Amino acid sequence: MKTRIFTAIIALAGAVQAADLPAGDDAFFETKVQPVLLKRCYECHSHDKKIKGGLALDSRSGWEQGGDNGPAVRPGDLEKSLVIKAVRYADADFAMPPKAKLPADEIAILEQWVKQGAADPRVAAGGAKKRTIDIEEGRKFWAFQPVGNPTAPPVKDKAWPVDAVDTFVLAKLEQASLKPVVDADRFVWLRRVSLDLTGLPPKPEEIRAFVKDNAPDACEKVVDRLLGSRAFGERWARHWQDLTGYSDMMGTSNSVFAEHAWRYRDYLIHAFNSDKPFDEFVREQIAGDLMPAKSVEDRAENITATGFLMVGDVEIVNPDKGKMEADHIDSQISKLGTVFMGMTMGCVRCHDHKFDPIGVEDYYGIAGMLRSSPSTHKIPFGVWSRLNTTDLPETPEQLAARQMQEAENAENIVALKADQTRLTAEKNALAAEVARIEKLEKTAPTDTASGTAPVAPATVGEAKGPQSPKPADAQQDPGSDKEALTKKRDELTERLKKLAAEIQHAEFFRSKVPKAFAMRDGDKPQDMPVYIRGNPYALGAMIPRGTVRVASWTAFPQIPEAQSGRLQLAEWLADKRNPLTARVAVNRIWQKLFGEGLVRSVDYFGVRGELPSHPELLDHLASRFMQEGWSQKKLIRSLVLSRVYRMSTANDSLALKVDPDNRLLWRMNRQRLDAEIIRDAMLAVSEELKTDSAGPALAIENPDNTGSLVAKGVNPPSYAHKVPRPSQEFERTVYLPVMRGGFAGPDRVRSFFDFVDPAQIAGQRPQTVVPTQALFLLNNDLLRKRAGALANKIIEKESERNARLEDLWLRALGRPITSEEHGDATRFLEKIEPLLKGKPAAERLAWVELCHTLLASNQFIYRI
Amino acid sequence: MKPLLPLNRRQWLQRTACGFGALALGDILQAATNPLAAQIPGMIPKAKRVIFLFMAGGPSQMDLFDPKPFITSRHGQPIDSPLRPEVTQVGTDKYLALGAMAPVRPRGQSGMMISDLMPHLASVADDLCLLRGMNADNPQHAGATLQFHTGTFAEVRPSMGAWVSYGLGTENQDLPSFVSIQPGGVREYGSAFLPAIHQGTALRVPLTDKASPIENLQNVSPSEEVQRERIELMQKMNRRLVGDLHGEASMEGMIQNLELAFRMQTTTPGIVDISKETEATRKLYGVDGKDTDKNGRACLLARKLSEAGVRFVQVTMGGWDHHGDVRGNLPKLCAQTDQPVAALLKDLKSRGLLEDTLVLWSGEFGRTPWSQDLSGTAPIDKHGREHQPESFCSWMAGGGIKGGMTFGETDDMGYRAVSGKVHIHDLHATMLHQLGVDHTKLTRRHLGRDFRLTDVYGEVVKEIIA
Repeated sequence: MKTRIFTAIIALAGAVQAADLPAGDDAFFETKVQPVLLKRCYECHSHDKKIKGGLALDSRSGWEQGGDNGPAVRPGDLEKSLVIKAVRYADADFAMPPKAKLPADEIAILEQWVKQGAADPRVAAGGAKKRTIDIEEGRKFWAFQPVGNPTAPPVKDKAWPVDAVDTFVLAKLEQASLKPVVDADRFVWLRRVSLDLTGLPPKPEEIRAFVKDNAPDACEKVVDRLLGSRAFGERWARHWQDLTGYSDMMGTSNSVFAEHAWRYRDYLIHAFNSDKPFDEFVREQIAGDLMPAKSVEDRAENITATGFLMVGDVEIVNPDKGKMEADHIDSQISKLGTVFMGMTMGCVRCHDHKFDPIGVEDYYGIAGMLRSSPSTHKIPFGVWSRLNTTDLPETPEQLAARQMQEAENAENIVALKADQTRLTAEKNALAAEVARIEKLEKTAPTDTASGTAPVAPATVGEAKGPQSPKPADAQQDPGSDKEALTKKRDELTERLKKLAAEIQHAEFFRSKVPKAFAMRDGDKPQDMPVYIRGNPYALGAMIPRGTVRVASWTAFPQIPEAQSGRLQLAEWLADKRNPLTARVAVNRIWQKLFGEGLVRSVDYFGVRGELPSHPELLDHLASRFMQEGWSQKKLIRSLVLSRVYRMSTANDSLALKVDPDNRLLWRMNRQRLDAEIIRDAMLAVSEELKTDSAGPALAIENPDNTGSLVAKGVNPPSYAHKVPRPSQEFERTVYLPVMRGGFAGPDRVRSFFDFVDPAQIAGQRPQTVVPTQALFLLNNDLLRKRAGALANKIIEKESERNARLEDLWLRALGRPITSEEHGDATRFLEKIEPLLKGKPAAERLAWVELCHTLLASNQFIYRI
Repeated sequence: MKPLLPLNRRQWLQRTACGFGALALGDILQAATNPLAAQIPGMIPKAKRVIFLFMAGGPSQMDLFDPKPFITSRHGQPIDSPLRPEVTQVGTDKYLALGAMAPVRPRGQSGMMISDLMPHLASVADDLCLLRGMNADNPQHAGATLQFHTGTFAEVRPSMGAWVSYGLGTENQDLPSFVSIQPGGVREYGSAFLPAIHQGTALRVPLTDKASPIENLQNVSPSEEVQRERIELMQKMNRRLVGDLHGEASMEGMIQNLELAFRMQTTTPGIVDISKETEATRKLYGVDGKDTDKNGRACLLARKLSEAGVRFVQVTMGGWDHHGDVRGNLPKLCAQTDQPVAALLKDLKSRGLLEDTLVLWSGEFGRTPWSQDLSGTAPIDKHGREHQPESFCSWMAGGGIKGGMTFGETDDMGYRAVSGKVHIHDLHATMLHQLGVDHTKLTRRHLGRDFRLTDVYGEVVKEIIA
């Protein structure tokens, strides 16, 4: 194509003899204009290269239609022709070519051409037509089909299944002539189900009780105990947090604290523990503020639930507020799309989805609702904004307790200020005294000890070490007096500085009104225009508020006047007819229990995602889930009691050959424990775990952790987790602050073991294996401390080596020690005891080494 | 409901004890399964490795590399603001011109403009390619820093070091392929959706010759022998567990990594130990110098890691965010960085490493020609400068980039580039090009889409390639 044009130009140039062609002529275009376009513009504005800004300059229709900013050339009108405006470089925001201005003669050619009517014989080479998405065609894709309720297929081995789930799986295995492997033993199953449901390993007494329990409902009893424990919600809330971008800090800039985020975390824990029906759970998180409530507590919960749309990465310091709002809405839409629909929506901000039947109308339909419920407000000074909060309603008891707290704080402020006054006076007196002595020194005749005081200025250029020469002994009295006074004055200055920070802190946090980061409808709910290529300053057509059409079964309901539409969106998502919500949800639960989803791309059910390995099973689970009142606990209960879940992780060489990825589920998948669980499980086996946590994650009550708390500062107030609360070393990881800039101290484990970056929405964490993890396991303090505590427990409980080994294995690995391991461990202890000779508490140290070994082993950090 | 199989210890033993030979250690890093093997066949590279000197905070380009007589002649007087009305700045409402504080003069054969504040860098001017038309899209530190490192500020993407590691693999089996010395946030060295092995390993600058730059490198057992016994037992247990499995890559990976970690404990201290360097070299970098000690150690460490085969080494030197008193603060930062940075170039050159090492120096953005005064009352000579992504200066050296070249010009005010514009995407494209990688071909599929460091942008800046 390119070569052909060149040839044509050369041929023409030869034939016409160039020179003075009339500018309104095709020949002028071809000899003068086209070479300029070719050389200067085609790189970014032609079908062979790129079509930046939607503008193609390789055909007449290209510049007639124009790009994002409309037609590029208005024949005859220089001022209205954007091409001319751009090459003239008059407006720096709209200057082309971007790298440097054209030479004047080339600009003149283009101007002449436009002025004379912009002759252009080139016809579009095709490919210029816009792709449109076909919703009806799109509906044929499996994920957009209504959820069916298939019956379980017949199977040959009728003895194996215990639940319909098993029949679906077994049928597929039989089709492939494969068999499920043997069941896991009781120890393995108990550790597995305990870790999966609660994130904590079973205790020795729980293991003993279960192994002895021959009742037919032994497993049910275990599962019900686990589902009823507080630890269940703590585990499963964290899975949900991975989908929200949850952090106790705002965006990445300026380390601004998100001091109310924990309320949403506690809401989640409570929602899982109370088995809030999933449809309700969905509705509350999108539009809880617009829903009726039965009680004050209910109302507070509903408001807090909308934190879902608030807790992500919010860049509140962006000085361009239009862009900031558009970016924030984009992150909310991406979250809604990924979490509930399994669809990627972010790219639709700029153009129709390239693979999936989702168009800009769908995107801006939802964006209009979110824009009608603003999440931030600009503060009247500086460049930053704040995330909106809502005061939570309080019960009379809560109100009384809160007012008491505030009164205490006010009293504290008074006391601190009194201290401040007293100490300031003291300091001033001291300073005056020091000044007096200094004055005395200066006015004192220099002859007493010539060469003391006057020496300093003379040698200042060379001597940098000692600040001033010591006064001669003869003057010892005022000198040491001065030294002591100066020291005291400096101490007081330090104390006053701290005191000022404490007062500032107490005043900043004067109000103890419970607040949540929460959504609410704005003053003027309305539709919004398309932002062309996502740019909030390039407005396209107005889009009525609505939702993703390809997943809709009927037209989107009318949004009542003065409402944002979030409530209608919430109802649409939580509707049984929605083809995506239940499927995406059950698949997420399946993945947490079995390691891989039935649809392996858990966050993406689109055309480029993976097809379900067991489509009928997925639909069976989705419809059963909805029929059983969207109960997550019921679904989880039946899954962990299934035969599929009971399989061991043993190998089967035939199956491995046929199905190496275990997509047909001939065995259980092994899983590395999540970062939090590695830490929590270590704390649990060393019996150090604190089990009654709740409330604020940030230790914000400590002024050492907060930056300047000036309400009207140029920069927003900030936080650094410098001094954790002492209890935080032993709390479950879910209660520790989620920081955006990485973790410190007792939280470091999350930096090494695939914790999801809180700017990311990730339904499934990667499971990486990198050398820094091995170094962590070998040498980190976390393991060393837990190993120490575990060793103490074992030594305390048993006095004899064999008994200690039995106890250690049961505690740490949830099973009896094997005879081989017994031999290994004994040899290990015997080998290192002499190496530790002479060390204090050498016997204990040997056990610490053994405990550390176990905690760092794959046996501990994997669940099989 | 059937009861579960009760535990049978013999069965347990049979399952766990079946023969599983010792793994050939180090295999994890071998060819076929090596995640650190190059992912794409490339063009012929001019550079084999990158050292990125990141000047966090945004150095003032006008004071250092791009003098503006127009501004200097109007020092302290109001100038017209070129800002769009929607953009809010604080403390710049008077738009007072703030002239350069020290002479910026022609240097070397090439006559490249460099400030008197950077005498050491001035002495290697002919090795530098100064980019004066740099530009970026975000005026805030966090966003601009993310864009510089990952190409975007809107979502979590791999950092350029991770992309380079992913694209080119490693040169040293005992070291990570991407190391970041005293880095900022994790996203600056994160691997996002690339395999985690490409994530940057964060190093601290060891401020004494004894300190370890890598976390958890210090053995916590009373002796190496004891730790070795611990590893032996752990490995025995790990192998037993993996024994009845096949294709359990992750568990086997952990077994291999324990060995690598153990080796790192012994080999890494040697590689990162700058106490073994000659006195002349330490002096060159300013190690133990009053202002230069920390950055001197960091730059020397960077050279050692580069030399040992680390593909991408980053050194972050912060403190350039001079909103106030730029006249007081900028000389301090120059004193801390000038000698170490120039020493790195000299040292690389004398070792013959500069020709295939691409060195990049840049902040996340530059600073405004007009002054900023947050107090509203300070005299003009105590004013600072606000952030400016619209134009700023970076430089490159070595790795097949032209030396002694100044590329790009800004307008009289020094606000916008008028020629030789290089966007961050272009810089990324050029860096990859020098490494022999076509930036449009280095992709990774994620959530149904192919991602690149340069997203859908980026042009190789051919003019600066030697």
